[in-house]
Amino acid sequence: MSSFFVLFRKEFKGQLKTYRFLIVVALFFVFGLGTPLLLKYLHALVPAENVAIGIPEFTAVDAVQSYISSLGQLGLVAAILVAMGSVASERESGTAAMTLSKPVGCGSFIVAKLAALAVTFGVAIAVGAAGCYLYTVVLFGNPGGFDFFIATLLGALYLLFCLAVTVMYSGFVRTPIVAGGLSLVTLAVIAGTAGLPGMKHYSPGALLDWADNIASAGGPNSWWVLVVSVALIIITTVIGWQVFKRKEL
Amino acid sequence: MPAISCQGLTKHYGSLVALDNLALTIEDKVIFGFLGPNGAGKTTALKIFTGLSRPTSGSAWVAGEAVVSHSRSLQSQIGYLPEEPAFYNWMTAKEYLTFVGQLFGLSSRDIKKRCGELLELVDLSRDASRRVSGYSRGMRQRLGIAQALMNKPAVLFLDEPCSALDPLGRAEVLDTLVRLKEQATTIFMSSHILADVERVCDTVGIIDRGRLVVESGVEELRQRFAHPLFEIEFEEAATPFVGLLESLPWVEKVNAAAEGNLFKLRVSVRDVATAKVEIPRMIAGSGFTLRQYQMVLPTLEEVFIELVGNRKD
Repeated sequence: MSSFFVLFRKEFKGQLKTYRFLIVVALFFVFGLGTPLLLKYLHALVPAENVAIGIPEFTAVDAVQSYISSLGQLGLVAAILVAMGSVASERESGTAAMTLSKPVGCGSFIVAKLAALAVTFGVAIAVGAAGCYLYTVVLFGNPGGFDFFIATLLGALYLLFCLAVTVMYSGFVRTPIVAGGLSLVTLAVIAGTAGLPGMKHYSPGALLDWADNIASAGGPNSWWVLVVSVALIIITTVIGWQVFKRKEL
Repeated sequence: MPAISCQGLTKHYGSLVALDNLALTIEDKVIFGFLGPNGAGKTTALKIFTGLSRPTSGSAWVAGEAVVSHSRSLQSQIGYLPEEPAFYNWMTAKEYLTFVGQLFGLSSRDIKKRCGELLELVDLSRDASRRVSGYSRGMRQRLGIAQALMNKPAVLFLDEPCSALDPLGRAEVLDTLVRLKEQATTIFMSSHILADVERVCDTVGIIDRGRLVVESGVEELRQRFAHPLFEIEFEEAATPFVGLLESLPWVEKVNAAAEGNLFKLRVSVRDVATAKVEIPRMIAGSGFTLRQYQMVLPTLEEVFIELVGNRKD
């Protein structure tokens, strides 16, 4: 068995045994179910006499757009919190030195971590999306299965990018909270660039805008965003690996 | 071919010189004790030899391989125990050893067999299915030794292997190291416990502030670097005898202390041959009642203090 698969299995088993997998899946499931539910019963929760402007009648498209938006906010925070200690805490505790004194490449070490996190978040997004789709169909009507699926895939790709950035920073520093802070600032800047005229067709932050457009059945496809995002995931992973390789353990 | 060698090995951390032009040659199938005070550079050297750290300059070879950071071919031939072994706390000892065996690419059958042998060796068989998070420091140290032996390494690097062990555990580990040496493993161990080094090591290196002070066989070191001592015990206060000794040119220092009814002298000399002849003759003529007289070899600890302690300023 190659060292990558050994490390991947260890990482994933670690996430199961430390309940990180369960917590992430439960979190996505709750907000997947909760988003259409909240929109449906918002009128009941906030009586009309208490707000200055009227609350519109929400549709299936609104439910999906709200879910995509939550994926970009709550999902991003979850990705940073779970991934920020992935390498840093191993360096700090000394487990990285124990593992890397064996015939294991630094590349396998980093990629196995990212892959295990990607699987956890992939399962969590799938569960959350299934819950959201089911409740949207029941409460608002069918939002369009294929469009919803593609929008979810784009949201998942955005979170994979967030994970790759956070794992990269986690390999740079020994303190998880510093890695988390650096990731948050970087991802906030990247999300901000999506609003710039020249960048909106290239910034990974625009993946969520594209997902939003697909959900509302409007707007053009942004293939360059897809290409740039995939390239940046690969580049951040390679940078993380190369920098980590030069670190003292 | 030496099992471990290095030339001009230097490591800087900013302005701090952790290793300064270290040169060592350690023969095959020996136990080498690496001694030095805290911060002398022992762990830095160990990390470079195991490929976990890069030297600023210089080169090293281990088991015939040039030491390169994270070299797989080097790391498949060595075992490494850090000073404070760290484990994934959610794993059991058995799971951890299986994980290590898989990293070395061993077959499932070999891993199972080796796990059983190693758990038995470090006396963790009964606790093999318990999570490592519940282990005492001594148990973690023993598991650390087991994982370092998983691949039957040609060269074993141990950073303070006995520091967390009780006297019985220490004795068992030291016996294990001697057995491993008999099975053709070269062992490089750093330690603060000089009695352990004296007991099992064939050769030692003493390092201070990143520089190698001496590299030598244990016996040779004791002969070369420490002045022989003569211990004399009288049954009454022999103060005039002390004064007489101190007046002689071949006597370097006399320490006298009363212990109960006994009066004990430790005499260090410049000329051993003269002292061997003269001291018994002086005792016989002194009129004091002799309880004991012996020439003692210095311990490794005394040599260490002689070499390193004198350099403190």
